[in-house]
Amino acid sequence: MTFERQMHRFRPAPITDSEHPKARRRVESLRSAVKRMFKGLLRKAPMGKDGVARIAARQIYILPTRIGMLYATTVLVMLLGSLNYQNNIGLLFAFFMASVGLVAMHHCWYNLLGLAISVRSGPAVFDGAAALFEVTLSNERAGSRYDLRLSGGLDASTPVYLNAHDQRGIVFAQPTRRRGLLWLTDLEVETRHPMHLFRAWCYARGQASVLVYPRPAVAAPPPVQDSGDTHRPAARTGEGADDYIGSREYRHGDSTRHLDWKAFARQRGLVVKQFGGDDGLEVWIDWAALRTPDAEERIRLLTRQVLDAEAANLRFGMRLPGTEIGLASGASQMQRCLRELALFDDGQTTPPPH
Amino acid sequence: MMAKQHLLPIDEQPERYQTLALVMTVSTAYLPLARYLNWRVTAFVALVLLLRFAAVRWPAAAPGRWLLLTLTFVGVANCLLANHTLIGKVGGTSLLATMLALKLLELRARRDHRISAIALCFVVVVQFLFDQSMGLTLYLGGIAFMIVALLVDLNGGMGSNPIRRAMPVVLRISLQALPLTVVLFALFPRLTSPLWSLGFDQDRATMGMSESMEPGSISELVINGDLAFRARFDQRPPRSDQLYWRGLVLWEVDNRKWSPGRAGQYQPADPELTQAAERIDYEIVLEPSQQRWMFSLDLPIEHPPNTVLSGDFQLLSDRPITTAKRYRLTSALDFRTAVPVEAEQRYALRLPANTSARMHAIVKEWQLETDSDWALVQKGLDFFNREEFHYTLLPPKLGANPWDEFLFETRSGFCEHYAGSFAVLMRIAGLPSRVVLGYLGGEPNRIGGYHLIWQSDAHAWVEVLIAGRGWVRVDPTSAVAPSRVDNRGASRLLGAYTPARFHIDSSGVLSIAIRQLRLLADSIDAAWQRSILDYSAAEQTRLLDRLGLADYGEFALAGIMVTAVTVVMGLILVGLIRQPDAIDPATHCFALLCRRLAAVGLVRHAHEGPLDFAARVAVARPDFAPRVNAITDLYIRGRYMPNPTAADIQSLSRLVKAFVPTKQRRSFSDTKRRKYFA
Repeated sequence: MTFERQMHRFRPAPITDSEHPKARRRVESLRSAVKRMFKGLLRKAPMGKDGVARIAARQIYILPTRIGMLYATTVLVMLLGSLNYQNNIGLLFAFFMASVGLVAMHHCWYNLLGLAISVRSGPAVFDGAAALFEVTLSNERAGSRYDLRLSGGLDASTPVYLNAHDQRGIVFAQPTRRRGLLWLTDLEVETRHPMHLFRAWCYARGQASVLVYPRPAVAAPPPVQDSGDTHRPAARTGEGADDYIGSREYRHGDSTRHLDWKAFARQRGLVVKQFGGDDGLEVWIDWAALRTPDAEERIRLLTRQVLDAEAANLRFGMRLPGTEIGLASGASQMQRCLRELALFDDGQTTPPPH
Repeated sequence: MMAKQHLLPIDEQPERYQTLALVMTVSTAYLPLARYLNWRVTAFVALVLLLRFAAVRWPAAAPGRWLLLTLTFVGVANCLLANHTLIGKVGGTSLLATMLALKLLELRARRDHRISAIALCFVVVVQFLFDQSMGLTLYLGGIAFMIVALLVDLNGGMGSNPIRRAMPVVLRISLQALPLTVVLFALFPRLTSPLWSLGFDQDRATMGMSESMEPGSISELVINGDLAFRARFDQRPPRSDQLYWRGLVLWEVDNRKWSPGRAGQYQPADPELTQAAERIDYEIVLEPSQQRWMFSLDLPIEHPPNTVLSGDFQLLSDRPITTAKRYRLTSALDFRTAVPVEAEQRYALRLPANTSARMHAIVKEWQLETDSDWALVQKGLDFFNREEFHYTLLPPKLGANPWDEFLFETRSGFCEHYAGSFAVLMRIAGLPSRVVLGYLGGEPNRIGGYHLIWQSDAHAWVEVLIAGRGWVRVDPTSAVAPSRVDNRGASRLLGAYTPARFHIDSSGVLSIAIRQLRLLADSIDAAWQRSILDYSAAEQTRLLDRLGLADYGEFALAGIMVTAVTVVMGLILVGLIRQPDAIDPATHCFALLCRRLAAVGLVRHAHEGPLDFAARVAVARPDFAPRVNAITDLYIRGRYMPNPTAADIQSLSRLVKAFVPTKQRRSFSDTKRRKYFA
């Protein structure tokens, strides 16, 4: 019996429905770790003092594309056939096509050589939306460059060309998965110029970050009103108890509770009812006032409260463990609070080590 | 299918002009092939291409999947119907042409375009199996250029006006590829014999001289205007009446024809000459004939490797000659052969069954009148000269007994009639004789410095064994009186070139000009033949010999090739990277000014504009101020104003060059200077 029990331990556990995604996630994380390790071994163009990375000769990678393999096979077959039948013109043709391939390979490499790449940060976004960076490719030589594109972005980027001494900005979108600073440190630029036979690519170092605000919770309890030492629960719930002061167009982050559904039904679009004519109303958005155990969930609730408070045009302050933001109102106050929430406790404020 | 089309990413969607350009290129590449393929295949390909063109104009005309499948079956069946096979040279090419045309019907993504453009290479390369002329090579070279252009244009990424941007790229790639191509062509090790055979050569008809001779066989050949071979003499070429190009030797005669027979069994392996003088060295480039025999000037004494010189001095290649063959020879114009063995002499006396009493009677008559063998031969030649014998390309038809009929009834014929019947007469007289097939004369090409020997120079003559002299050449045709040579028939049947023996007068200015042009064209063709078509392992071995690397064989060649390719590629790269930076002349001048001022201690800061710098210089060195200010003004006008005039740039350049600042001597206090250049 004991033996059987021991055997049972060694038997692989059946993968249940709940475990299956976990196992897959583990495999995926392993794969991405290996990928990251491999990527760490690759040569990357360092960022110069002027914040621009310039691609040097040995930082360019190149491999044939599928079409390139087909081309090579074709040339090889022509070569063998012409050699066998001692057909000199056939050989001449095969050699010409082979030489064209060889020259094209060098042109492909040369198309990236010396390319100057710099990255700039875009505006802050909420978690879940795409973070936008602006990548500037500049051509610092007298010849043109063609068919340059960034790989790894959210959408397939259209190729750009650069005339002599020309530069061009490309919007590079990255997905956001967590709050904090999203760093863009590695950029992959690729080209298949001139004949699509080879793909040359290079990695350039950059240092740009986009601030990712937490994803706001769908709804949040009303924040603590007034100031003072006592954290009493809100006497008045925010459910329309304030005076109705008007309506405005829906903005991202607005509470759905204030949506004017009647207006929506009349096809006036999404309109938000605004309350809180009471200027003197002051609320504290307080970490300690919430009871949710999960810290991230709490931050999302706080974010919603900040957005609601700003939407309701209140004066508000925020208390987080270790920090406190004084009472103020307006967009700048909201941004200050959101920034604090984005970076709270877990925010990557420094770029990952190179 | 339509849905798939919409799903293509934007940079994979082809432009309409790209499709059109591809289809046009493929059609152009097909054109020369139409000569060699069955009309059914050509018709099918043309139909498919028309459908394709229609689909470019009206996309709805593009066939659906089922129609395409049906068309594929029809196309393969059509190839089978036309050639009865799908392999071999014509069969395989037909299938390839059909398939590529069908591939064009499903051009959706750019990827399909690229694959078709690459597959077009095969259509180009198979054409060289049919024809290797320079014209076709240039034509298909244009197609190769178009393939590169299509691939560059299909890759895109060039913004608006892509064709104008792609063209310089295509030109640069093609031009840079040319030196590499030459290096690879010269140094890539060749095979000395094929690795496999798909039977590409079997469906070729033999060309040129046939193996036997009967009345009418040479005149057929003469009418054919092809080139037989080219010959280049190392020294002065011999007289034209010495240019007997020896080919086959015929021993056996039956009622109608002369054929080679089995004389080899009686002959020594290595023929010997008892006398050989007037040696002459020359080189021959033989056109492919699919036969084994080769030609040499009467008589060859040294023969090239991979050939056999038989006992009767026939030069034979060890393989059928399928591509142009170049070889060097030495011949003796004045020679005396050894006396053959008894059996061989008897073999050379065998008579056909249909010799007539008339023939025996006339030979008897000659024997009575003469006392030596050689006098008898002369008697025979006299007979052709005295009697009403005519030399014509259009002889009357001969019946069951051609030798007798020609000698006594029709008396008009071509060299095969004369040689054949003369040899029979000599055999009746008891003199061993044989017929030699070959060429006589040739057209000298002074531009190229060689002789052209055409099929219309084909000739037959007789060799008679004379006691004490060996085999002696006797040409009965030359005995015919010149007045009885039929020039009219010849000039009608032989186009541009007529052999000298027809004495056709061509002294008109136009005909001379045409003749010169033709010779020039042939010189180019011969150069093409020598340098490109005939380039083989032998030339590579010679190159290695010269470098003293012959012992290493292919390895040395491969090593040299890799080195040369690397060097050429390196040069191309250096050319790419060292592209001159096109700075405008004004900037160039101002940079010179800054350099000169820096040399006297006035260094321009990186953040300093030209005006600021000029102001600082003016304070530091008031003596420079007028000239520096003038230069700066001109520079700003030339660099930043719209449409700078050439005169401004010129005076700027002149001013800068004239301005050579010198270091100052104490007119300016050190402390003050330090203040400015801190």
